[in-house]
Amino acid sequence: MLADIFTPDLFASAIRMATPLALAAIGGTICERSGIVNIALEGMMLFGAFMGVIGTMYTGSPWLGALIAMVSGMGLALVHAFASITLRTDQVVSGTAINILSLGLTGFLMEVIIGHPGTTDPVARLMPVFNINGPTEGVLGSVWRWVDTIVFSYTPIVYLAIIIAVVGQWALFRTRWGLRLRALGEHPRAADTVGISVIRGRYSAVIVSGALGGLAGANLTLEQVGSFTENMTNGRGFIALAANIFGRWTPAGSYLASLLFGFADALQIKLQLFRDVIKIPSQFFLMLPYVLTVIVLAGVVGRAVAPAAVGKPYEKG
Amino acid sequence: MPELKTEHSTSRLAAVLRELAVPLVSVAIAAIIGSIIMLIAGFDPLAAYAAMFKGAFGGGRQIGETMLRSTPLMFTGLAVAYGFRAGLFNIGAEGQLFMGGLSAAWLGIVLAGMPRPLNIILMLVAGAAIGAAWAFIPALLKAKVGAHEVITTMMFTYIGRYIVSWLVTGPLKAEGQIPQTNRLPVESTLPKMHEMLPFLTPSRVHLGFVVAIILAFFIWWVLKYTSLGYESRAVGYNPWASETGGISVSATTIKALCISGALAGLAGVTEVMGVHMRLFDQFSAGFGFTGIAVALLAKNNPIGVIAAAILFGGLSAGGGTMQLEADVPQKVILIIQALIIFLVAAEQIARWVIGWTDRRGATEHAG
Repeated sequence: MLADIFTPDLFASAIRMATPLALAAIGGTICERSGIVNIALEGMMLFGAFMGVIGTMYTGSPWLGALIAMVSGMGLALVHAFASITLRTDQVVSGTAINILSLGLTGFLMEVIIGHPGTTDPVARLMPVFNINGPTEGVLGSVWRWVDTIVFSYTPIVYLAIIIAVVGQWALFRTRWGLRLRALGEHPRAADTVGISVIRGRYSAVIVSGALGGLAGANLTLEQVGSFTENMTNGRGFIALAANIFGRWTPAGSYLASLLFGFADALQIKLQLFRDVIKIPSQFFLMLPYVLTVIVLAGVVGRAVAPAAVGKPYEKG
Repeated sequence: MPELKTEHSTSRLAAVLRELAVPLVSVAIAAIIGSIIMLIAGFDPLAAYAAMFKGAFGGGRQIGETMLRSTPLMFTGLAVAYGFRAGLFNIGAEGQLFMGGLSAAWLGIVLAGMPRPLNIILMLVAGAAIGAAWAFIPALLKAKVGAHEVITTMMFTYIGRYIVSWLVTGPLKAEGQIPQTNRLPVESTLPKMHEMLPFLTPSRVHLGFVVAIILAFFIWWVLKYTSLGYESRAVGYNPWASETGGISVSATTIKALCISGALAGLAGVTEVMGVHMRLFDQFSAGFGFTGIAVALLAKNNPIGVIAAAILFGGLSAGGGTMQLEADVPQKVILIIQALIIFLVAAEQIARWVIGWTDRRGATEHAG
């Protein structure tokens, strides 16, 4: 049975499941590194998922749909940035408002545009990037089956997420932009003193996180599912925040932590196929990623240190 | 957020009015933005609001329905407000509510045949206890390792929902096709209020409404006059100073989040005992999350929670009529709720509208 569970498909599925979490988690990393808490990633992802489908429906192109999803995420991010940076509102409360707004807006627009609540019709999806005809027979064939599934089977945003994690890691720790961003979250007063604009820096970080949240939503609808269902993000934005913490506020760490959650998700889906053998109710499998999140937070938070000024509004003094 | 000082009684009325101005103006702005959204989507906002008002307050039955829907929101609103007072954001009231409902659905059957007042008291106490228990692990993690309660209580909400989903489809499932528990015997239910107040006939409002209001006053008293309440507020106001002043921040954090969980658990109990008489997957219409809006609109004042819950209960009761008569999707209520949270939190907007550009006032309340 183990050979039936640990197939190449399980690992590929883990990477696919990790993608929306990783994109949102990296968004959270960039946002929190600048000093702004972004609880609204859940809502940005949901709004991106919806607008991606609507965009694809109207333009006929899932590529444009993904772009519209990103822009939609950025739109909500702008609201969060305005509230938490300019108005110095409590960032967690503003994020919660945006999550509820997104839930209401997607549900409302669904009924206005689609005409009914629930799930949209399927739309055109982003297709796997590679389509290589490798060997099918013998040892070579089974090796190729693993390689093809784990390396070459993915849709564009899955690869993009890996690129973003790598480039993001480099940019955050090896470029001037990254140094400045980290300064905003650690000691905004000092950053301000040496001439870095705290306001502008934080706005751009929040907006980048919105774009990543929207892209995560596009991955859900335009690559994984192919349609939009109300509240389909189902807490992924919060799991992504936990992944960001587990990854110690680094893009690469966020990606790797998301892989863990993605694997838990892939495993629970796989195990449900063996319900008759394992005899554990499906709800316990569905719980797995959430339980894992709590365990991860319990185990690492004490040792992981958040950016010093995160959550605190900055007032030019 | 929390304020430790008390005003002089002479300026009290003026202070109360000043406190009310921001929430009221915020609700008005939210309603206006809501109408703009409806106009853009091609609906008639005036017809929508008129239908909503009729559905919420148009007669005895409608008023009763509004009371019915405001009841769980008072409990969850109090839960979130108590947490906020102690500097904790209990975003997972929904999960604690689910566990409270679960305990009532189980205990109500076990207690069949016992006297009704005893059952009511036992079921309320048990629901509060399990709600507190469901908040305990997030509370412990917050106090001991600093895990953010927003993430942990949210995760416990999903876990709680799946546990309920499992129990109602499996071990606690009643005979038949529908995944739900057995109907509670009448001695394990809350009496309907129209038995005492006939003008509410035939609404479904139950005694839980009265329990919620009494509890709101009790929590107000606890916060204002007990050392428990004082410690909670002090920790919410300034944890470092509290620790220096001899208050254990971690113990207070754990107590406060558990009290918050207990209050949310009661919402689940009264929904099961008063409305559905049984438990099923979808028994809560997101009351835990709406409780956040209620608490914020009430500025975390327990008495204010009563009024805010009635407003949101009315929105929800009127939403059905609005959809039916003005054809506007009920989801617009969620949008209005979100706008209210946003505007109350970013109160400069309301102040600006009122014309209070007094900078001192704005910064004093922002902290």
